[in-house]
Amino acid sequence: MKYLHWNFSVRSRPSDKRCARFIRQLVLLSVLLPSSNLLSQEQPQDKGRFEIDLSELQKEVDKVADKPYSLGGFAEFQPTLLGIDRDSAASRARFYRSQPDNPFDQYNFRLRLQGSYKKDWFSMFFKTDTHVRNDFDGWDEDTTLFEAYASAKPNSSFIFEAGKRVMKWGKGYAWNPVSFIDRPKNPEDPEEALEGTTVATADYIRSFDGPLKTLTLTTALIPVYKYVNAKFGEPRQTNFAAKLYLLLYDTDMDFLVLTGSSRTTRYGFDFSKNLTTNLEMHGEFAVVNNLDKMAINANGQGFKTQSDALSQLIGLRYLSERETTYILEYYHNGAGYSRSQIKDFITFVDRSYRTFQNTGNDSGLARAAGLLDGPYGQPNFGRHYLYFRASQKEPFDILYFTPAITSIMNLTDASLTVIPELVYSPMTNLELRFRTPVVLGKNGTEYGEKQNDYRVELRMRYHFQF
Amino acid sequence: MKKHLIELSLALSFILLFAPSALPLDGPEILKKVDANLQPESFESYRKLINIEPSGAKREFLLYTLKKGNDKIVSLFISPASEKGRATLRLGDNMWLYIPNVGKPVRITSLQSVVGGVFNNADIMRLDYNVEYDVQKIDEQKSEYVLDLKAKTAAVAYDKLKMWVDKKAVISTKIECYAATGLLIKTLYFKEIKPFEGVQRPSVIETDSPLYKGYQSIIAYANVKKKIVADEVFTLEFLGKIETIR
Repeated sequence: MKYLHWNFSVRSRPSDKRCARFIRQLVLLSVLLPSSNLLSQEQPQDKGRFEIDLSELQKEVDKVADKPYSLGGFAEFQPTLLGIDRDSAASRARFYRSQPDNPFDQYNFRLRLQGSYKKDWFSMFFKTDTHVRNDFDGWDEDTTLFEAYASAKPNSSFIFEAGKRVMKWGKGYAWNPVSFIDRPKNPEDPEEALEGTTVATADYIRSFDGPLKTLTLTTALIPVYKYVNAKFGEPRQTNFAAKLYLLLYDTDMDFLVLTGSSRTTRYGFDFSKNLTTNLEMHGEFAVVNNLDKMAINANGQGFKTQSDALSQLIGLRYLSERETTYILEYYHNGAGYSRSQIKDFITFVDRSYRTFQNTGNDSGLARAAGLLDGPYGQPNFGRHYLYFRASQKEPFDILYFTPAITSIMNLTDASLTVIPELVYSPMTNLELRFRTPVVLGKNGTEYGEKQNDYRVELRMRYHFQF
Repeated sequence: MKKHLIELSLALSFILLFAPSALPLDGPEILKKVDANLQPESFESYRKLINIEPSGAKREFLLYTLKKGNDKIVSLFISPASEKGRATLRLGDNMWLYIPNVGKPVRITSLQSVVGGVFNNADIMRLDYNVEYDVQKIDEQKSEYVLDLKAKTAAVAYDKLKMWVDKKAVISTKIECYAATGLLIKTLYFKEIKPFEGVQRPSVIETDSPLYKGYQSIIAYANVKKKIVADEVFTLEFLGKIETIR
C-alpha cells in the first residue's frame, strides 16, 4: 500500500505494542524534561516587578569582554520511530535481506563541539560532529570534522581564510541551486549544519553612500585531491570560484561562478529584497554547462547524457499581524530526473525484487541500493517542487514555543511529505522538537516510493558553553 | 548720550549672543537632544536582555552591540549557549539575521523578535528616533515635554510614538508605541540614569505590553563606549565575524 497507513494503531500485532511503548516513552520524556525546569535557576523568583542588579551585569561583562577563546556546542538525544512502507522501492532495495520490525525504533545521540580563538587580526574556528546511532542494525558511530579554518583580517576591507568551511551561497530557504561548492542541504531540515569544503578564500569588502551600499568580491580556490575534497569531482585539480555581492537599491544580489576541471563550469545569480516591512522575496538562477547525468531504464541499463541544466528558485517569506511566518518556494531542478526516468527506476527495483523472490539473485537489488546511495538518493531528485512552511511564534502567550507545519510537494507526480512540528524551549539552553513527518503519494511517485510512511521524532538538544 | 548708546549696544549684543539658549527648544531639537542623551552616535556596548514571565521565571541574553552614524547597527549574542553567535545587522530599513548553523544571513523584518518576549527587532536594533520620526505636536508641562511623533515612512515598526521627556535632563522617561490603527503595542520606561562617557544616560529600559499581559522585558546597558569602526564592518560578509572584532 503506497498511501499512508492510517491504521497503524491496530493493537493485536506485536510491532504495534512496540510502537505504543515507544510513544509512551516519548510522552514520558517530554513531560519529565520540562519539569526539570523546576530545579533550574529559572524557577520563579517572586511575582513583584523585577529589578536588575547592574553591578552583577558589570561583573559578567568584564568576564566575557576580553576572553580570546570560546568552546561550546550541544549534546542531543533523538529517539525516532519509523514506519516502513514495505512495498516501496526504497525499502525493497534496502531491506530485501533483513526485514526489520515495522515500525522500528532508532536512537540517535549527537555531540557537536565548536570553538574559536582570536588574537589581533587573526582568528581560528573549528566544529566537529559525532553521531552515534542504534537500531535493528546495531550500533553505528561517525565523527566528522565539519569545519576548521583560520582567518586573517589585515584591515576591514580584506579577509583571507583557509581551511575547511561552509560557503553558504544562495538565498533560498529549502534549496540553493547556486550553492556550487557546498554539499546539498536537506530540505526537510534546512537549518542543520553541513560539513564544509576545504578552500582558500579572499574577500574584498567596500561600503558606499548612495544606492550601492555594499560591494563584496569573494574568490575561492578549491583543491581536489585524494584526501582533500575527494568527492567534489575529478581529482588532482584546483578549481576556482567567485561571488560578487551587491547591496543595491536595498536589494541583495549575487553573481556567482565556479570553473575548473573537477566539475563543469556553472554560473548563477540570486537576489533578496523586502517588498514591504513584512514581505520578502528571493530567487536563484543557475546554469550548469555540459552536465553529465546518469540514468537507468526499466531493464537496469545505464545511460549517460550530457546537456546544460538550468535551475531556478523563487520564494516569498511573509510575516502576518498575528506573527505567523509563511515561506513559499518553487524550485525547478534542471539537473533532476523526469517523471518517466523516476518511473523507470522504480520499475527496475520492482523487477529486481521479483527476480530476487523467484531466483534468489540479488544483483539488481544490490545495484538499486547503490543508486539510492547515489544519484537516486539525492534529496528531491525530480524536477519541479513546491515548499511551504507556516510557523506561529508563541501562540497562547507561551513564550519560546513555536508550532509549525511544512510540506514539500513534487509537482510532477503530486506526491508530498507533510511535517507537523512543535518546538519548545522549557529552560535556557534546552530545546525540544517533536515532529511527525508523513508521506503521501501513489505507486510510482517520488514520495510514494520512500522507505518510510511516517516518522515520529523527539529531539532533545542541550547547548553548553565553557 | 554716547555712554548710553554704548550701554545699549552692549545690552543688545548680549541679548543677541545668548538669545538662542534663552528661547524654548522646538520639537525636532528636543528629539535630537533626547537621541544624543540616550546613546552616542557611534558606540559599542554590552546589553543584557531579560524576559520575565508572569510566574516570575526569567531568561537572560547578553549581546554585544556596535552602532555607527544614523543607519548602521549590529548586535551579536554572547550568551546563552543556545543563542551564541547569532547576529543581527541593520542598514537603514534593511535588517538581516545570521544564525551560525544556517550560515547565511536571512532578511528579517523589524516587527519580528529574535529572542521572544516583548522586545522585537526594532527595539533591539533601534536607530535614533529623529531618523525615523517627525514631531507632530509638543505639549509643554511643568517638568516635562510630551511629544507626539509620527513615523516618516511605512517601513518604521511603530506608526506613532508618545514620548515623555524630562525637561531638565532632556531624557525620555516613557514612550508609548502605537500601531497605525491606534492600538497601543507597548510602553518603554527609561530608568537608572548613569554616566557613560561623561554623559548622563538611562542604563535600563523596561517594557510591558497589553498584548503580553503580565510579561515584562528589560534591557540593561554596560560598557557603553565611543567606538568608530569602518563601514565595512556593517556588511553581510562581516556578520558571521563580529566576534573577532569585539
